[in-house]
Amino acid sequence: MTEVDPRVLARARARVTGPVADAAAAPVPAGLVGVTDGERRWALPAWPDGATPALLEEYQSAPMPLERPGPLRRVLAAALRCCWRNLDDDPWPGRPAQIADVLEVHVASVRGDAELMRRWAVGDLRRLADTGWLLLDEEAGTVRLGPRTALWPPESLPPLRALLRRMPPPPAEGA
Amino acid sequence: MSGPEGPAANASELLEPLLRPYDEKRRAELVAAYMAVEHAADPVPEVRFAALREPALRRTLAQMLELSGRTLIRTSRGHWTSGYDDAVREALAADPACTLPVADRAVLVLVLIHSVAIPRAEGLLTDDTWLSPYPAPLEELRRRSQLTVSELEGALRRLRAAGLVTQVKAGADEASGGYVPGPQFHRLTEAARRRLTEELILAAGPDSPLAAAIRARRRGMRRGRT
Repeated sequence: MTEVDPRVLARARARVTGPVADAAAAPVPAGLVGVTDGERRWALPAWPDGATPALLEEYQSAPMPLERPGPLRRVLAAALRCCWRNLDDDPWPGRPAQIADVLEVHVASVRGDAELMRRWAVGDLRRLADTGWLLLDEEAGTVRLGPRTALWPPESLPPLRALLRRMPPPPAEGA
Repeated sequence: MSGPEGPAANASELLEPLLRPYDEKRRAELVAAYMAVEHAADPVPEVRFAALREPALRRTLAQMLELSGRTLIRTSRGHWTSGYDDAVREALAADPACTLPVADRAVLVLVLIHSVAIPRAEGLLTDDTWLSPYPAPLEELRRRSQLTVSELEGALRRLRAAGLVTQVKAGADEASGGYVPGPQFHRLTEAARRRLTEELILAAGPDSPLAAAIRARRRGMRRGRT
């Protein structure tokens, strides 16, 4: 078998596994971006010259399709509303929120049968956790923002802040 | 906390030596093509990307990909995507953290048998593509996979999310729905496609002369390495 440079292999492996939590002090393979919340760190893909996959739009090329993209985005917005409390800060790492609160914010911002919306939103939360956008702890009933949110470029945040300000607040806010 | 400047700057250093010789325009073309082949769902046309059209830029692009174990793949005339380099693929396949759960693999193999292998045996699919317009019916997956309904649904959800299968809705003209191989199958190198064909022959007809020939050739290759 041809020997593969271990640094090359580490970067290829990161693409296969997606963001996997490691100890905060663990070294980040060269060429990947290390994102830490103080306790853990995730190694994420690094893109040249500040490009993000959003660049595909400029070239009329479709990214990997999402299932239920609309609901998925709305559930992510509800989670952001609950975890990113101080909008003057960066979203990452934010703070943990109750899954129940996220579901309430979601139900309050969409139309439809509340019970059904809640049930679907739980599936959407799981899929957002599968892809590193959220960290979900269903046993503890909590959700946190995922490491991918740390890579959002600063210039993409103002419209997101404006959107979140228009959303209903989490139930416990001010309590 | 990790501000974007610190670690991200460290990350672009990886590609910097390859990008540095180029002026701003060329550099942006290389970055655009790099992001496109790595992140677009399907192969992208070279008419839209100068760095795919021009051989010198394309060589640099291939070197950029190589640093992460990736390689440039031409899927059809004028269309490109990226995939794992063959040696890297072998190394990753030997790593349990990088392989699919066994149930997911079983379901994927069923999809490949019904949507690719059988239509190809019937002469409906001719070339060596792993993409197919013939869906494997969900009912068939239920019957043959030996998985519970929830296990099967979980496996299909993960396979769909990974782009390994695509769901085809049943048409109004009674065309049956089901699952076909997903866009990731564009990303196979020629060696990976051949390997997959061989594995399917070994699984479907282990006693066939073709299977015997594959085993003999592999034994020869292993001897050649040692």
